[in-house]
Amino acid sequence: MLSNLWRSSVSGLFVVSLFGMLAPSLIAQTVGKGVLTGRVIDPSGGAVANASVTATSIESGQKQTASTGPDGTYKLELSEGNYRLTFEATGFKTFEISSATVSGTAPEVLDGKLERGEPINDSPALTQQENLPNAPSSSTTAPSLSDLGLSPEQTRGNPQEQALLDKRTHMLRIHQRVGLITTIPLVATVILGPGAGGKSEGTAVRDLHVALGAVTGDLYGITAFYAIRAPRIPGTKKRGPIKFHEAMAWIHGPGMILTPILGAMAFSQKNNGEKVHGIAQAHGPVAIVTAGAFGAALLSVSVKF
Amino acid sequence: MNRKILIAFLFAAIPTFGADSQWVLQQSTLTYHVSHPLHQSEGVSHAAKGKGVCHAGQCEFLIAVPVKSFDSGDSNRDLHMIQVTRGAEFPLVTVRTRLPESDATASTINADLEIQFAGQTAQYKQVPFKLDKQGNEIHITGTIPATLVDFKIDPPSLLTMPVKNEIPVRIDLTWHQQ
Repeated sequence: MLSNLWRSSVSGLFVVSLFGMLAPSLIAQTVGKGVLTGRVIDPSGGAVANASVTATSIESGQKQTASTGPDGTYKLELSEGNYRLTFEATGFKTFEISSATVSGTAPEVLDGKLERGEPINDSPALTQQENLPNAPSSSTTAPSLSDLGLSPEQTRGNPQEQALLDKRTHMLRIHQRVGLITTIPLVATVILGPGAGGKSEGTAVRDLHVALGAVTGDLYGITAFYAIRAPRIPGTKKRGPIKFHEAMAWIHGPGMILTPILGAMAFSQKNNGEKVHGIAQAHGPVAIVTAGAFGAALLSVSVKF
Repeated sequence: MNRKILIAFLFAAIPTFGADSQWVLQQSTLTYHVSHPLHQSEGVSHAAKGKGVCHAGQCEFLIAVPVKSFDSGDSNRDLHMIQVTRGAEFPLVTVRTRLPESDATASTINADLEIQFAGQTAQYKQVPFKLDKQGNEIHITGTIPATLVDFKIDPPSLLTMPVKNEIPVRIDLTWHQQ
């Protein structure tokens, strides 16, 4: 009977672990694609049919084009990232949006309002600046950015760096959300801990403790994955609570590996009718320290002390 | 006779040269304030550069500050702020305003500001500032009532709770007349 229970627990653990291993790739697949949609209109607000909408990836330069329907709407299914959008239609000036971010979370809605006239090749940034009432070029006395001693490098945007920042934020947002979810089974596992071991001979609480522990481990793995894989921004020196947050990871990271190993040993000993002994006795204390470090890491970036 | 003409010419020329003057930003402290249900935070920059050019009684000012120069004491938060404000793509915040030259002697002024930030332009009408003039220097303090919506910035969130829309920016500038 004990061996049956052990077998069923191990197979359950295997299924949950398998989910944990596959979950990051499943999430990655879900968030890998996004939708860019919108409506192209003329100055009077009327729909522009057969307008061409081209999305050019800022990262790779790849282009994807869609045409608007009779109601002026378009839809582009794109990989996550940053895109430059170009709206073109016969009899209208070309309209550009220099940067649009596509994420897997929600469709990005971008409308294009076209002006009548011949297409122009000016960059949108320049066009926008020239139209400003007190732009440097519009007045002979107004100071310009070059008057301030700013170099072109300081004034020029860097879309690649912006894309890197966008990706970092996207991944850390998932890291944050899954980390929050992880606290639920983590706390439940810790609460059930005393009932699962010690003098208790019952197996139901122990099995639930094992299952919750496995879910915690899997969710923790996903949380860690998104933190570790989030891109680093060159030239950034870490300051503030994030240093403590990362220091805590050196405690709860090994703890999350050690805890289930010690737990499996303790589980085996209990199921063999033995009292938990040897290194397996450290399962509880290690789990408590791990959970404490995880909680401290979470609080360090959430609440200002 | 020639000497008289020369003196008369010099006297006539003095007001013209005196009307054109310039102001250079000597010291600056710009502080944004962000409110979140769990905590408040501020980011400070001392890296603003500015210049004012006066002509025919009107002065045009331009101030530019790199988005990356704001320091909240938390590198993670600063990177998030740069990301949501698209600071890598639009690296500067610029403030433009036009004021009468006579305002330099006032103790308070109301300025119309045009601010370019995060790829957007917003205008703020009649923003009050305090002035303290000492010799060739003017010390200006005030708060720009900026909001995230003004610049189409999605409010960053922590623990799924977004920050407030209001991000007032305190400014403390010392200008030197040249």
